Amino acid sequence: MPVLSTQLLVIGGGSTGLGVAWDACLRGLKVVLVEQGDLGQGTSGRYHGLLHSGGRYVISDPTSACDCAVENRVLRQIVPHTIEDTGGLFLATPTDPIDFPDRWFAACQELGVSAEEITTAEALRLEPALNPRISRVFRVQDGSLDSFDLLHTLTAEIKRAGGQVWLRHRVEKLILNGNTIVAAEIRALDTDELLTIGADFFVNATGPWAGQVASLADIKVPIALGKGSMVAMATRPIHTVINRCRPSSDGDIIVPVGTVAVLGTTDVEVQQPTDTTIEPWEVDFLLAQGEILVPQLAYQRPLRAWAGVRPLYRPTTGELGETRELPRSQIILDHADRDGLQGLISVFSGKLTIFRLMAEQVMDLVCKQMNIAAVCHTAETPLTMTSRSFYKLPDRLAKLEVTTSHDLPQVVCECELVTRLAIEEALRFASTLDLDEVRRELRLGMGPCQAGFCAFRAAGIAHELAPTAPASGGLTPFLEERWRGMVPLGWGHTLRQMELTRRIYLELLQTHSLPEPTK
Amino acid sequence: MTEVLIVGAGLTGLFASLLVAERGNAVTLVAQGRGGLELSHGCIDIWGRATPSRALSRLRKSHPYRLAGTAALHAALEFFEEITQQAEYPFPGSISRNLHLPTALGAIHPTALAPQSLAQGDLFDGTPFTLAGIDNLRDFYPQLAASNLRRAGIAVQSVLDLPIPLDDTRHDFYTSDLAHLFDKSNWREEVARVWKPQLIGIKRLGLPAVLGLRDPQHVLEDLQERLGLTLFEIPTLPPSLPGLRLEVILRRRALNTGVHFIEGPRVVGRIDGRSDGRRVSGVVLQTVGGPRVHTADVVILATGGILNGGLVFQQDGRVQESVFDLPVNYDQGRGYWTTTSPLDSQPYSGYGLLVNDLMQPLDAKGAPIFENLYVAGGLLGGADRTMEGSRQGIDLATAYRAVEVALG
Ligand SMILES: Cc1cc2nc3c(=O)[nH]c(=O)nc-3n(C[C@H](O)[C@H](O)[C@H](O)COP(=O)(O)OP(=O)(O)OC[C@H]3O[C@@H](n4cnc5c(N)ncnc54)[C@H](O)[C@@H]3O)c2cc1C
Repeated sequence: MPVLSTQLLVIGGGSTGLGVAWDACLRGLKVVLVEQGDLGQGTSGRYHGLLHSGGRYVISDPTSACDCAVENRVLRQIVPHTIEDTGGLFLATPTDPIDFPDRWFAACQELGVSAEEITTAEALRLEPALNPRISRVFRVQDGSLDSFDLLHTLTAEIKRAGGQVWLRHRVEKLILNGNTIVAAEIRALDTDELLTIGADFFVNATGPWAGQVASLADIKVPIALGKGSMVAMATRPIHTVINRCRPSSDGDIIVPVGTVAVLGTTDVEVQQPTDTTIEPWEVDFLLAQGEILVPQLAYQRPLRAWAGVRPLYRPTTGELGETRELPRSQIILDHADRDGLQGLISVFSGKLTIFRLMAEQVMDLVCKQMNIAAVCHTAETPLTMTSRSFYKLPDRLAKLEVTTSHDLPQVVCECELVTRLAIEEALRFASTLDLDEVRRELRLGMGPCQAGFCAFRAAGIAHELAPTAPASGGLTPFLEERWRGMVPLGWGHTLRQMELTRRIYLELLQTHSLPEPTK
Repeated sequence: MTEVLIVGAGLTGLFASLLVAERGNAVTLVAQGRGGLELSHGCIDIWGRATPSRALSRLRKSHPYRLAGTAALHAALEFFEEITQQAEYPFPGSISRNLHLPTALGAIHPTALAPQSLAQGDLFDGTPFTLAGIDNLRDFYPQLAASNLRRAGIAVQSVLDLPIPLDDTRHDFYTSDLAHLFDKSNWREEVARVWKPQLIGIKRLGLPAVLGLRDPQHVLEDLQERLGLTLFEIPTLPPSLPGLRLEVILRRRALNTGVHFIEGPRVVGRIDGRSDGRRVSGVVLQTVGGPRVHTADVVILATGGILNGGLVFQQDGRVQESVFDLPVNYDQGRGYWTTTSPLDSQPYSGYGLLVNDLMQPLDAKGAPIFENLYVAGGLLGGADRTMEGSRQGIDLATAYRAVEVALG
């Protein structure tokens, strides 16, 4: 029997699901969202960080290009605190097709994607680290967007509007009554309990898992999974998003995000949404491509690598026509129409940049089917910035510098300037004492030492707040997570950094000899 | 008199330089950086996983301990104890029984020799103990340490937080800030006055390692007397005070015994042109003013492993020795170097140079490459020091053996 019923149940807490839940709240619906992991554990927390200008899609996918151009402006209005206005450049190098820049520029103008050609001299004045051999340069409205900030902000807004967000809850069964979905069986992963939520309507926003979740209702959603790897460099030799002006391909973009510059991406077909292992060749390829745009990257230390998985719709013949490529724009499947199953819509693919638009399109469809007249308000409703989620390193430094030496707070993570107070507050607010959640919220351990120093301190602070929790239970998984990001970059200075971590945690602290945490 | 050149100023290089100077030979120590002592706990680990004296004889023949030989290890320890005694920073303990010391995380660190202030924290000593943190010190969390020790079945009498009697209301202290304060006797007097009332009924008290840098044994004894109890220290995150103290002691002695230091430049090995490539003639110092040749009769490489720059792991999957480009024993290809958990044994930890029992690096056929080049410490392959708990023991034993052979 349902322990709870609601109007709308959203499955998946990435940008798409949270966007849908927020849109639904503004339309006055009762909403519950369930997410199997923590915020940002899916693709939304493993993306490249680019707020698209639309420039990357003007040739390959004009609709997406227009959507991005519009949503780029909308997001700057409603979530300005998550965005750094870096601007973007498209560069043609001597090895790129010579006729492409003109075609590309014409397409931008036709589609309303703002772009302006500048001289290479001006580009080099803006970004002295660029390869001086570039031949043509265009300026666009790219930005970088911190998805953790966005997801936190959305969650806070949803809760404020009366919606619910349940983390670490996984949908394991969809329950049908005839040809209508009426409830979902959900496992609370912390306690292993099973509960049932009844709802009038369900949205499957599980990204690369969308096929698996649809199959819970015996529906086939054929999805191909494409893994994309990224490498964050320890410094930011450029402050503008750098794109390569050529037909879109792998390894052609560098995004400055926070304190790092992120090189990306590759595209490798994988079998599972969790297949995020990075091969050495992917890293070599990304570094080599990055050096073409910014030669001094050859001398910088790669800090961390990760991969995200794209769901690509691979419909059977006839559904979309044989000749079309697998679309990368958003896919919204109305299962009433498509499969004769009432009460379920699946939404996946697309971009983080257009999450609001995707949510609007989904909710328009949901409302139509539920006979609700409410219209979308998300485009004109700014989201309130939560004080905790706001992150920019220079702001943190400025805040520390104005305090007198007397009440200088204790800095626990020196790389990212995370104070003890901030950690205490985050731990109190968080639903678990998971250090990785604190990391996602405060960027604890994301800097050059990759938690080598602060992990121990944070474990000590967490234990003071909750002395009954398994002592340092969160330390090992936290260290392992940081380590995983360094393994693909395990040579040179990064491997030295890894060895330093081992000296500290194994030789000095003997972490490996602790008794297993008791549950 | 033999002119000896040692490359590297970590535990191995410093210790080797003292041995050479002790025998009345001229010794120059060149180093680009400072070595890893301040990253270490400042104890001498010989074999962490079992009783050292028994475990060592069963090691593979290619293990650095087997190559250096037990005699070298014993002689090295004897000299080490002499050095630390004379510096009034004694290291109790023995090779036949490990001490079991608490770490800042509350795990157990088995080690053969430890400075007295650490050794007094032996967990199987039988005297009940209390752990105390110091307010606003970011690197020690006594509750966490106590909980983990208790989980391992070790009784911790109580946990305290002790204040810092300073007017200043700073919230942030490093261990080195506090160590400088504890070096002053009027500070210790004040601390004792404020702390004493809080320590009633406590016989043994564990503190983060902050009790002085310049004359730590005196600080320990003085504070114990003022507080009327036994104190012990627990090393914290780097810069770790016990490691720093050991570095200070070794350097002080090196300067006093005439070791000539050249610090800063990167060095490249130089082969003797007249020897058909069988001998080295010294190194070239890459100084700011340009390359400078430094010749010697004998060169001892103590440049350490990956952390200290003796080994360089390349993106293309090769591992190189940084001074003479000597052959390294390793698996070709980055994919083999690490595992998925930082707490597991790592393949790269065992990579390094292969040497014979004279500490001479060997070529692919097993023949010594140069007649007058010797290798000691972290640069040697064949041991996973982290998992074995053998780092400092290997450093001392191989340094001893290399000097012994080099000076004939
Ligand atoms: C490599 C890469 C780089 C990218 N770069 C950019 C970029 O720079 N700019 C841009 O705009 N877009 C980018 N994108 C696209 C963007 O990341 C995605 O479009 C967006 O993050 C998708 O969000 P989502 O919510 O649909 O999916 P996700 O973020 O994957 O969310 C799905 C969630 O569903 C949860 N879930 C799955 N199954 C269940 C279940 N049974 N029960 C409960 N929860 C479940 C998962 O845990 C997951 O958190 C990139 C994508 C990739 C792969």
